[in-house]
Amino acid sequence: MAGIAAQSQLITTKGGFLFLIGKIIRFFFFFIFLFSVLSGVGSLAGYSKEQVILFYLVFNIVDIIIQFLFRGVYIFRFSVVSGNYDLDLLKPLPSFFRPLFGWTDILDLITLLPLLIFTIWYIFTHQLLASSLSFALFLLLLINSTLVGFAFHLLVCSVCVLTTKIDHLVWIYRDLTGMARFPTDIYGKGVRIALTFVVPVIVLITVPAKALLGLLNPMAIIFSLLVGILASYFSLKFWFFSLKKYTSASS
Amino acid sequence: MKKYWLVFKLTLQDYFVYRLNFILWRFRSFIFFLTLVFFWQAIYTSKETLFGYNQSQMLAYVIGVAFLRGVVLSSRSFDDLPGAIVQSHLSQWLIKPIDVFRYFFSRDLAAKALDIIFVVFEIFLLVKLLGLDFYVPHQLSAYLLFFLVVALSVLLYFLIGTLSSCLAFWIEEVWAPRWLFGIVFLEFMAGVYFPLDVLPKVLTNIFSLTPFPYLIYFPLKIWNQTVGLGESFKIMGILSFWIVLIWYLRNKVWQRGLKRYAAAGN
Repeated sequence: MAGIAAQSQLITTKGGFLFLIGKIIRFFFFFIFLFSVLSGVGSLAGYSKEQVILFYLVFNIVDIIIQFLFRGVYIFRFSVVSGNYDLDLLKPLPSFFRPLFGWTDILDLITLLPLLIFTIWYIFTHQLLASSLSFALFLLLLINSTLVGFAFHLLVCSVCVLTTKIDHLVWIYRDLTGMARFPTDIYGKGVRIALTFVVPVIVLITVPAKALLGLLNPMAIIFSLLVGILASYFSLKFWFFSLKKYTSASS
Repeated sequence: MKKYWLVFKLTLQDYFVYRLNFILWRFRSFIFFLTLVFFWQAIYTSKETLFGYNQSQMLAYVIGVAFLRGVVLSSRSFDDLPGAIVQSHLSQWLIKPIDVFRYFFSRDLAAKALDIIFVVFEIFLLVKLLGLDFYVPHQLSAYLLFFLVVALSVLLYFLIGTLSSCLAFWIEEVWAPRWLFGIVFLEFMAGVYFPLDVLPKVLTNIFSLTPFPYLIYFPLKIWNQTVGLGESFKIMGILSFWIVLIWYLRNKVWQRGLKRYAAAGN
């Protein structure tokens, strides 16, 4: 299925090429902006210039992985309103498989690989890795971030089944995660609470970045893992609840 | 004029039908606004002046961006016209006794009117909640110049939007160039995310050769009074030059595009 999606995306070469260029340019514009501003002030919210840039790099990695995996959400509404989702339900796959993984984005994968190489180079050049344990912890929390991303995207699919509305919800999620381009310590307490408990952007991006830097305490790690597991559990529960309400109205 | 007034009113009614969509769109803008405010506040905890801006001027810039995103960058034509061309819905306007551009400009004005109301409320809310102290010009001339430049910027943005929409006559995947030029290039080069002075000088100079900084960055320089009267008139002159040039190009490309338009499926 991922192969078919990739072929389809690569057929539209002009669009895909421009999309790819746009992503790269946006990344570099922000990078240059952060670099320039932080060269002027030296630090942000107690983090050095290099650390702040690492937050930005981790944000991009998490964002791209989640977009790459769960892009199917963006076309799920069409499946629901056209009634095509009925056909997916007949297939011997988990009911959430196609809504979430139905449009794996190869263009995201293309940007992910050079970004990973650059990030590893950046971490070692600026000696940002606290210890090898920090790296192992980062990988664990990255998996946890994917779990949180899974939970949110499944929640969006559930809302889509119930209301057939989806677009703005996904974009609000994108905007909220965009707040973690910078260390989330810059935000006021109320905003930080919302970014932890309402949409756990901090668990999604800030926590893995802090793990790399060796700035996490054991409680924060346990809490993050708990958020990932609970979010997935309740999201699945809600998904199955919404499926019971699915009326297949268009077919 | 009466029929365009009707289009204006109908577009407003359209927004009130899809209230939730509009509110969620405003919420997204608010998140963007909030992020920038917190970011710059954190930056200015260790410095009083940065890149020629003190904190109140930078906050004025961020608030100004929130305002101008509503006034200048909110548009229906940018969103709807390319799709109408690709899907051949354009025919419905071509056969009516209306001017397509005036029709879309009326729709744009309705979108802007509603955005202005909400954005002013959002700014008021955030200024009160966070106690933001932002720069306000002391001379009446700064206000006059600012609003004059903003009016020209609105026109320039409409022309850029309709020119880029014309691509749809030649390319079906119009979303890609629209995303690249309309969001990535335009928003960065216009100074939506940050004032362009923050960037290395060479990049600022290159961006200044494009029309984009005249949408956000230069109007806010006039508001912050970091440019003199002579410089402000120069900005208006260049802005007028871009308007005339893009208006001419837009009309030429539109005429050529119409010759290609096949109204497939209609």
